[in-house]
Amino acid sequence: MFQKVLIANRGEIAVRIIRALRDMNISSVAVFSDADRGALHVRLADEAEHIGPAPSSESYLRIDRVLEAARKHGADAIHPGYGFLSENANFAAACEDAGVVFIGPSAESIRRLGSKIAARILAKQAGVPVVPGNEEPATNVSHARKLARELGYPVLLKAAAGGGGKGMRQVDRESDLEGAIRDASSEAERAFHNAEVYIEKVILQPRHIEMQIAGDLYGNLVHLGERECSLQRRHQKIIEECPSPFIAKNPEMRDSMGDAALRIAREAGYYNLGTAEFLADPDGNFYFLEVNTRLQVEHPVTELVTGLDLVQLQLKIAAGDGLPFAQEDVRWNGWAMECRVCAEDPENQFFPSPGRIAQLREPSGPGIRLDSGVYPGWTVPLDYDPLLAKLVAWAPDRHTAIQRLHRALGEYAVAGVKTNLAFFREILEDEQFREGRLDTGFVAGLLARRKPSVPPEPMLEVAATLAAVAASKNGKPAVGVESKESSAWRTEGRGRLLR
Amino acid sequence: MKLQVILDGHPVEVDARLLELIVEVEPGVYSVLVDGRSFEARAVPGAQGLSVLAGGRQFLAEVRDARNFSRSSRAALGGGRQNLVAPMPGKVIRVLVAKGDVVEAGQGLVVVEAMKMQNEMKASRPGQVMDVRVRDGDTVSAGQALVVLE
Repeated sequence: MFQKVLIANRGEIAVRIIRALRDMNISSVAVFSDADRGALHVRLADEAEHIGPAPSSESYLRIDRVLEAARKHGADAIHPGYGFLSENANFAAACEDAGVVFIGPSAESIRRLGSKIAARILAKQAGVPVVPGNEEPATNVSHARKLARELGYPVLLKAAAGGGGKGMRQVDRESDLEGAIRDASSEAERAFHNAEVYIEKVILQPRHIEMQIAGDLYGNLVHLGERECSLQRRHQKIIEECPSPFIAKNPEMRDSMGDAALRIAREAGYYNLGTAEFLADPDGNFYFLEVNTRLQVEHPVTELVTGLDLVQLQLKIAAGDGLPFAQEDVRWNGWAMECRVCAEDPENQFFPSPGRIAQLREPSGPGIRLDSGVYPGWTVPLDYDPLLAKLVAWAPDRHTAIQRLHRALGEYAVAGVKTNLAFFREILEDEQFREGRLDTGFVAGLLARRKPSVPPEPMLEVAATLAAVAASKNGKPAVGVESKESSAWRTEGRGRLLR
Repeated sequence: MKLQVILDGHPVEVDARLLELIVEVEPGVYSVLVDGRSFEARAVPGAQGLSVLAGGRQFLAEVRDARNFSRSSRAALGGGRQNLVAPMPGKVIRVLVAKGDVVEAGQGLVVVEAMKMQNEMKASRPGQVMDVRVRDGDTVSAGQALVVLE
C-alpha cells in the first residue's frame, strides 16, 4: 500500500480523500492556491504545498506544479478527486512518466471515454443503446441546422470534452441554434480547452440514472448499483439518491443497466472507479450518455447503501489489490439521499454567493453524514465551484431518508453567504418529489410552479426584532446604504415578499 | 424609540414586547421564545446592511427610526427606473438587448459568467431599455450597472 498520497484537488472532496487516507494510515499531501492558504483541506492534511495563484489554470490545473509538489514531498500516488485534472488523460500519463501512481483508470481508458463522441462510438461497439444524434462536432452551422432538423427540435448541444453541464444547451427552435452553438462552444473552450460541441436528440421526460462500476488491474469488473440524479438545475445535479425510485419499482433494470455499464467498461479496458451515465425514458428504455472516469461527487449515497468506502477501494485498486468481493457479494441496504449545498442565492436565479461564512452550525444525529469543506470564518473564494458541502441521509426506506434529510437541513445554519438549504427543504416537501415521480425537468418545473415562499408567522417579526436588537447592540441603527440604483434581483425579492 | 425595520425592502414594525423575548446564546446567535414556541435566528453585519437568518431564510435588514422612513425607499418598492446590476464580479459574455428595445418580464438581457457558470440576467418586469452600459467581453464588478430599464 502507498505511504504518502498527494491530493490534486481542494474543498470538500480533498477533505473526503484525506479522511480515507487517515483511515488507512497513509500520509496526505494537500496542494493549494493563493486563495486556499487557509482552506480546510490544507488545515487537515499532514503536509501541504503551495502551487500558484488563485485562478485554477495557474494552480490546480497545472500538471507541472502538481507533479513537482508530489516529487518534493515524496508522494507515491496522486488522487485527482473530481473536476480539475481528474479526467485529463495527459495528466494520468504524466503521472506514469514521473513514476507516481495516478489513482484512476489508465490514460488510454480516459482518452477513449473522455470525449463524449468517442464514448458514444465505443458504446455502440459494445452493443449499448445511445441517444439519437451523431458524432461529428457541430462547428459548421448550416450542417448543424440540417442535423437538428432531421432529429427534430428540441435538441441538445453538448461539449465533446464536457461534464457538469458546462458547454451544454437545450435548443428549442432553429432561430436559437446559431447563438447557442456560439455560447456552448465558448463555455466549453474556457472550461475544457476544447470548443467542440455536438448535437443530440432530447429524450422527453428522461430520468438520469447512472451506474457505479469498479474494476481491478486484472480484468475483474463489478457494478455497485445505480444512483438516480434526475434532480438537476441547468444540467447540474443537486439531489442524488440510491436506489433510484424507478429501479426500486423495476428491479430487473439494475441488472440490465449494470450489464450495459460493464460491457462499456470491458470494451474500454477499464479499471478503478467509474460511472456510466444513462437517460431512462418513462417506458424503461435507457440510453448511454457518457462515462465519468473518476470518483463522482455523489459517491456517498452508494457508500451508505452498499457499506463500502469507495475512496479506500480506489486506493486499494491503484496499489494493485484484486477486487475484494464479487458481483454476488454486493448488497444494497436501505436508502440514501444527498443534497449539494452551495453558496448561491435561490431567490436570485441561484447566482453564486461567495463571501465569508460568518456563522456555521452543521447538522448531525442519526443517519446523517456531512462531507464539508468549510468552517466558520472561511471566505468562500469566487475562483472555484460554489459547492460547500454534501449533506447525505441514510434510512431503511425512502420516506424516512427524506424526513431525516429535511430535519438535518433545518439544523444546518450558514450565515454570511446565501445557500440553497431552504430550497432543498422546499423540494423535499413537494408531493411529486415525495412520490418519486422524477425527471430531469423536475427542478425547472418546480421553480415555475413555485409559490412565493412567505416566511411562516412570526418569522418576519422575529427577524425584524432581531435586527433591531442587533443594531442597537452595535450602538447605532444599522441603516443600510440605500443605493439609488436598486438591484433588479432585490426588487424581484421584494415583489415576492409583498404578494 | 419606535423602530421601523425594512426586511428585503418590506417594512415591518417592531413590536416592543418581542424585544423581551430574545436572548443572545452565542455571539450573533439569538434564541427567541414567542408564545411558548422556540426559534433561533442569527444576525451578521454585511457590506449592504445587517443580514438576518431566521427560519432558514436570509433577510437583508435595514433598521431606522420610523420618522425617517424616507420616500426614497418607498419609491424603490414600486416602478420607475431600474438598473440591472451585476451581483458579483464577472465577465460579460453577451449583451442580448440594445438601447430602445422593449422587453418583457423574464426576458434575458445580459449573459454574465462568474464562478465558472454563465448566467442569463433577466428583466424582473416589462420595460424599455434606456441604456446599455457594458459590451461583450467587459469585466464587471459587483454592483456595476449593466442595463438601465424604464
